[in-house]
Amino acid sequence: MITVDKLRKEFKKTVKEPGLKGSVKSLFKPKSKKVIAVRDISFEVPKGEILGFIGPNGAGKSTVIKMLTGILTPTSGSCTINGKNPTQNRKNYVKEIGVVFGQRTQLWWDLPLRETYGVLKEIYEVPDDSYKKRMAFLNEVLELDDFISSPVRTLSLGQRMRADIAASLLHSPKVLFLDEPTIGLDVVVKDNIRKAIEHINHHEKTTVILTTHDLADIEQLSKRIVMIDKGSKVFDGTISDLKSKYGQIREMYFETGSKNAVEVLGYAKHFNLGDDDLSVETEGNAVKVRFNSSAVPVSDMLSYTLGKINISDISVKDADIEEIIRKLYEQGVE
Amino acid sequence: MKKIKRMLKIHRIFMAQEFKRMMEYKGDFIVGVIGFFLVQLSNLMFLWIIFGQIPNLAGWSVNEVVFIYGLSLIPKGIDHFFFDNLWSIGYFTVRKGDFDKYLTRPVNTLFHVLVEKIQIDALGEFIMGVALVCASVPNLHTEWDVFRILAMIFMIPFITLIFTGVKTITASVAFWTKRSGNVIYMFYTFSEFAKYPATIYNRFVQNIITYIIPFALTSYFPALFILKGENPLFNLGMPVLASAVLMGTGVLVWHRGIRAYESAGS
Amino acid sequence: MMKRKLKIYLPFVNAGMQEVATYRVNWIFFMLGEALSCFVTYFIWAAVYSSGSKESMNGFTMPQMIVYIVLMFLTGTIIASDGAFVVGEEIRDGSIIMRMIKPVSYNATFLFQELGNKLPTEIAIAVPMIITVEIIRTVMSGMFEFNVLRLVLYILSCALAYLINFYFNICFGFIAFVIKYLWGANMMKNVIVGFLSGMVIPLSFLPEAIEKVFLFLPFSSLNYTPVMIYMGKYGGTELLYCVGLQIFWVLFFFGLSKLLWKASVKRLSAQGG
Repeated sequence: MITVDKLRKEFKKTVKEPGLKGSVKSLFKPKSKKVIAVRDISFEVPKGEILGFIGPNGAGKSTVIKMLTGILTPTSGSCTINGKNPTQNRKNYVKEIGVVFGQRTQLWWDLPLRETYGVLKEIYEVPDDSYKKRMAFLNEVLELDDFISSPVRTLSLGQRMRADIAASLLHSPKVLFLDEPTIGLDVVVKDNIRKAIEHINHHEKTTVILTTHDLADIEQLSKRIVMIDKGSKVFDGTISDLKSKYGQIREMYFETGSKNAVEVLGYAKHFNLGDDDLSVETEGNAVKVRFNSSAVPVSDMLSYTLGKINISDISVKDADIEEIIRKLYEQGVE
Repeated sequence: MKKIKRMLKIHRIFMAQEFKRMMEYKGDFIVGVIGFFLVQLSNLMFLWIIFGQIPNLAGWSVNEVVFIYGLSLIPKGIDHFFFDNLWSIGYFTVRKGDFDKYLTRPVNTLFHVLVEKIQIDALGEFIMGVALVCASVPNLHTEWDVFRILAMIFMIPFITLIFTGVKTITASVAFWTKRSGNVIYMFYTFSEFAKYPATIYNRFVQNIITYIIPFALTSYFPALFILKGENPLFNLGMPVLASAVLMGTGVLVWHRGIRAYESAGS
Repeated sequence: MMKRKLKIYLPFVNAGMQEVATYRVNWIFFMLGEALSCFVTYFIWAAVYSSGSKESMNGFTMPQMIVYIVLMFLTGTIIASDGAFVVGEEIRDGSIIMRMIKPVSYNATFLFQELGNKLPTEIAIAVPMIITVEIIRTVMSGMFEFNVLRLVLYILSCALAYLINFYFNICFGFIAFVIKYLWGANMMKNVIVGFLSGMVIPLSFLPEAIEKVFLFLPFSSLNYTPVMIYMGKYGGTELLYCVGLQIFWVLFFFGLSKLLWKASVKRLSAQGG
């Protein structure tokens, strides 16, 4: 169980005036201003949950993750895992967690992958017999066998990510932090990684905290989302909560033989909709209409469209999570 | 005790990895060793040429100068061999945010950084140092006794820590400024003063290299005792004291710095 | 034509200047470190001159030796070039391939960027150091010897020396095809060049035969020639010969860098990237 309590991080940022004069000035009299990266965030994660931690760029996601993993020291507030606190006893705390940063690696670059696990075994004091069992398990889930003897620098990005996840799990941590675990990977590899994460979570009741830009990761893996923006928590709940709260957006697809169908229909004028509530795209005969169902009920939309032009095929569906979150990022959350 | 055993084990594991890594790039490491050997050789040529012009250097015979020079290279080489990774902390590990890795592991960060890498290049320095000491010893008018030889061996680990301490303190600056490679460089360059008898410098410089950035304690003062039997309390006691103070300060500043560490990226 | 060319490369000068402004503090510490080594050298020479009986050694009096040390330091800074590292790094990470598809000469862009990088700092340290040298010289020898013509010739000779060093370093960078440990290779190069160019000890202190060889090698054209010119050690024909030799080495390394580039294009295309 992870408890995050009023976690706050302030940075001092030196302000530099532009130009050579500015740099000379800042050399002798550096000016700095306080930037609040994370504002008193609190949440809890029960054991065995997969939590999706999301927010737009610069929202403070990484800063929170880095405080939770003991890398950054909080300005105030605390985070504890089973009562252990990184600021009081970092070494004890980090034994409980595994960390993967998608853009970095903790593998020994020049040596065969196997060597990395040998070193980590000693660092984390994993006994010989549990190490053997552990490697067998990780091997099975992440399929390391194909490349365990190759030098790390020769691995593909997907292999490297699997290897890194295995490295973070070697000491059977209770909590696994994954920061952008699928970044830069192709669709098939992404899917494999997600399955592996799911398997480990299911099999070992490992709590997973996941940050990602690929919302498909979240949709597939996590039931719960914590969203932050400008350093504050703006949403905490399940994906279905999010959908019912913000998800009045619907998408209607249809195909039509009529030319100028969109002009003929004139949705914006007819329903009096603004840009926020309506967008229309056409591609050949296909038309996609995205609209806010609280402004125009779905039934009205359908009957109006069907009555106005000839339609060969029509369907309406909920906007996916990506759509909702994109909208939230763009508009901000009230 | 258990803790020390664990540290030694981790050290051994890291060393083993480093040797494996070196085997992958054998030729390149020879380049480094020869490089550092050449640096010293070029300095020696300089000494050799100037001693062709003068009978002694400010009262020091060529053999004494060579002994002090050689003695200075031994601890410097050892520090260089084992603890060179501190340079990368100052130059890029902190700036690029790669320091994160150390903080997510259940090992003391300073210890981890120190033992993670070895620098084979240092052999060029170390071997040259030993060779110079050995070459100068038969020609010195020194009465050797067991105590002097033991003193020399006993002092080396402490003196090594003077180098490591200065590097640790200056490398830690990077936690606040992101980059401190050239700060390490500047302070480390003070060790150049250690190669020659401190009496050739003026009072001001002597005070600095004895009490502030005390590289004179790394070879000149111990040599005063070893060569002439002078004032063992100061000549041996000061280096030991300085190594404790510097390394202790280093550990403190390091851990202070970690709290200020800001990682990198958003 | 020339003007158009300059227009292409001027932004690189500017970029270089910006870079320096960003890393200023770091650079100051680096220069302080370098200056410390100078101080060590100074003290040794002071001890040497006070231990010896002669006032002048191999044509150098103590005040002249101080001037020599300071000028060597200044000249070394002025002509320093990062080319070996930049080229070596490109070869190691394979980005040298990118040069084949760029429409501008890579060496030229790098040259201009480095110039932008150096110009402001060089002026900032050269002016006070030249003044210092003149003060030291005047105080210690009691004569004011500053000579504008020598200063002009020194600057010219430094410019040539920089070009030699620039193209020599570009050439040396190709060693990365053979040695992967660039830092080590670079250090080795610096030691050898340092000795051959009189950084460690004035070449006139060496046995005459060796001195002759060293004086012909390209490395004395780097630091030694400009410093000797400033100190007024070269007159008339000797001066012309040395500057001529510098020009020869500029052309030599320029040509060599082109050849090595062609050879590596061949090699890279043979490897198929």
